[in-house]
Amino acid sequence: MKIKIYSIVFITVAVTFFLGFTNSNVHSSSSKLLGDKHPDVDWTIGCVDCHQETTPEIFTAWSNSKHGTSGFGCYICHGDGQEVFYKKGQDNTCLGCHSEKEVNYKNLKVKSCFDCHNGHTLKFHNKGE
Amino acid sequence: MSISRRDFLKASALTTAATIIGVESLVDNKIFAAALQEGIVWHKSVCRFCGVGCGVMLGVKDGKPLGIKGDKENTINAGLLCVKGFYLHKVITAKNRLLYPLIRKNGKLERASWDEALNLVAGKFKEILEKNGPDALAYYGSGQAETEESYLAGKLFRGFIGTNNVDGNPRLCMASAAGGYISTFGADEPIGTYDDIDYCDLFLLVGTNTAEAHPVIFDRLVNRKKKSPNCKIIIIDPRKTPTNKIADLHIMVKPGYDLAVLHAIARLLIKDGYADEQFIKDSVVFSNGKDPISYDDYKKFLEKYTPEYAAEQAEVQAEDIIKIAKMFGESPTAMSMWTMGVNQRTAGVFLNNLIHNIHLLTGKLGKPGCDSFSLTGQPNACGGVREGGTLTQLLPGHRSVGNEQHRKEVAAIWKIAPDKIQPKVGKHAVAMFEAAAKGEIKGLYVLCTNPAQSLPNLNKYIQGMKDAFLVVNESFFPTETAKIADVVFPVAFWGEKEGVYGCTERRSQYMAKALEPAGEAKWDGEVIIEIAKRMGYAEGFQYLKTPEDVWNEYLKFTAGKDMDLSGATYDRLKKLRGLRWPVPNTNHPGTWHRFTKEDPFFPKDKAGDKRMYFYAKPEGKAVIFARPNKGPEEPTSTEYPIALTTGRILEQWHTMTMTGQIPELLRANPNPYVEINPKDAQSWNIQNKDKVKVSTKRGSLVMNAKVIDRPRRGTVFIPWHWPESLTNILTNDAVDAVSKEPEYKVAACKIEKA
Repeated sequence: MKIKIYSIVFITVAVTFFLGFTNSNVHSSSSKLLGDKHPDVDWTIGCVDCHQETTPEIFTAWSNSKHGTSGFGCYICHGDGQEVFYKKGQDNTCLGCHSEKEVNYKNLKVKSCFDCHNGHTLKFHNKGE
Repeated sequence: MSISRRDFLKASALTTAATIIGVESLVDNKIFAAALQEGIVWHKSVCRFCGVGCGVMLGVKDGKPLGIKGDKENTINAGLLCVKGFYLHKVITAKNRLLYPLIRKNGKLERASWDEALNLVAGKFKEILEKNGPDALAYYGSGQAETEESYLAGKLFRGFIGTNNVDGNPRLCMASAAGGYISTFGADEPIGTYDDIDYCDLFLLVGTNTAEAHPVIFDRLVNRKKKSPNCKIIIIDPRKTPTNKIADLHIMVKPGYDLAVLHAIARLLIKDGYADEQFIKDSVVFSNGKDPISYDDYKKFLEKYTPEYAAEQAEVQAEDIIKIAKMFGESPTAMSMWTMGVNQRTAGVFLNNLIHNIHLLTGKLGKPGCDSFSLTGQPNACGGVREGGTLTQLLPGHRSVGNEQHRKEVAAIWKIAPDKIQPKVGKHAVAMFEAAAKGEIKGLYVLCTNPAQSLPNLNKYIQGMKDAFLVVNESFFPTETAKIADVVFPVAFWGEKEGVYGCTERRSQYMAKALEPAGEAKWDGEVIIEIAKRMGYAEGFQYLKTPEDVWNEYLKFTAGKDMDLSGATYDRLKKLRGLRWPVPNTNHPGTWHRFTKEDPFFPKDKAGDKRMYFYAKPEGKAVIFARPNKGPEEPTSTEYPIALTTGRILEQWHTMTMTGQIPELLRANPNPYVEINPKDAQSWNIQNKDKVKVSTKRGSLVMNAKVIDRPRRGTVFIPWHWPESLTNILTNDAVDAVSKEPEYKVAACKIEKA
């Protein structure tokens, strides 16, 4: 019986809080964006080839960010677009590379990397939005 | 991280309550994250890709790889990963994993049992050995194999089969760097470490696209520049790359014509009073490559290399060369870094020497923030191949085949007759495949590499590989090489075996076995041992039961050598984030700067007051070389008027057997392309995305044009990753006279619309 209760608690917690530690194969079960699809486009070209024309502001913000400087492309947060697509970046993708930046949310009102960091400029406290 | 059941329940109850009453949870998410990860074990390891040696943690649950994160305890990357490392766990379960042995039957590769495959290989190798002699067999290894695996293969082929036809893919990438270190300093591998980056005020990046090929090092450069506003970055490269975003000065040299620039910098450093005359007197001698020369002779040699002359040679601005010399001379500290743009050249060793020259002239070596520091391409080229002795001229522990005493030392540990190891150097990579093409090498064992895609001038070598009895150890199928093999052994991939990798900065790091091998795959070491046993060499191999047994035997070769790893036992390596040799005992912390007082082998009695003593050289002095101004082997011509250079992109690695399985990485650059300067494109009437045909003397390829302001005018660049478009059909297989490394970086080509 006790084991059953523990299991229920565990499952509740699992649904409530997303495992935000790693670049994990486990995806956020609470993300309502999971079902979103990238429009069907010419998949023979890279993200940047298209997005510098279709979303120039976002491209420029990314390009001037540290990710852009290093060439870490759209796919790292948004997936390849076809097999994997996240409309909004997820903490687990951040923490796979930046495990040293893991935050203890205990005394914070924010609950996600993107509550403080702009997703494209990567500036802290969403400066530059 | 571990939590108690009590903590977990407490936190769970609190969360449930918080959820019910509709307030924001104030509980510690970390506890919940950990709770969710109950049953997940995090294994300390090292990234499988480039030579930086980033620490990674592989998360495993129920025998499956669940995720990866940077190891924040590892001082190399402090938790940071690049995009390739980020997806590493997905490679383990990639669809192209090879799960069982394959044998070619009636022209087709078919599933076979391990026994059948091992017996076939052992029998065939024995037959070739008896009929054609040991030199009809060859081993071609990899800078990605673990040290234990490379060591075992070297032992089997040199000590038991009896051939020095032992080489590997580091011949194609780092041989010139090794040749440069050995000729200049007397011993391979850098003097300093990554720690120097954090003290450096001037970085000279020559032929390295650090941002894409070594992103975590690039991040350290970015951080250094941010912390120290006076820090400057200079680039010498024919192409603009993402590295340029942090550059203060970039000279876009004509491919293959940069030796004069380095000579001109050396000349200006002396002329303008930046030379450290005391250091030169204490620790340097001069040579023209054949005979010793004096400092004055060297100065006379340099007279020709005025900034104007060098500028004319390299087609850059003389004033920029003057600026570089001044910046380098005035900076209190300086690090040079380079990769394939320097090494993959027929003047690769010379150019390595010339980079070392400017550090020796200014004494910018062996102190914090100073080094002449080669960036390595593969994760264990330094450890398993350069240290483990699996290049044809080397024996384990920085020993040489040509040295009788060294052969005796090796034979004693292997318990074989001293004359079993041949005194003659065997075939280097290109010569090995040339010999296979001629039918001289009849049996070829390829481990953890893909020469049917990575060799230069591929068309010349493929048939020879098909004709030889070709055995491949691979984790993935198909690869270009496995497709034409006679036997393919499925081997454990990263995470499925334990072992040691030695990275760029002399650091050896342990990688845990976190998973069982996929399918019927086995550890490469076990495959080699099984072949050895079945060939009748059980006495030399059967006592090696585990990777640790192999490592312990290998450590015997390092004791007392400049690369002493005696203190790097498995026990220690499992606890630490690696150790940088020399580390002569289990209490030693490892060494930051070699040839200085920090080095346990620094001979204080001989060195006296000298700051550095290069004890691997007879007088303890490093050599400044007056090398000839050698250009590329294949200059542009009327028929082939464009310079072709090849290289890497951020998202892919080598022949894409690993990164090609990751959809996200493929998305960045889905198709092969050739980069063309916009002004050239205009004059050649080529538009972005046009199909173009690129031809060299050796072959042609059709691909998309990418018109982009990256390559200098008159030069085009092709990444070499895509198996469906084999860039190396185009590249030149001419090799450096010393290092035998091919000139992938410069060829002459022509372009037309397809």
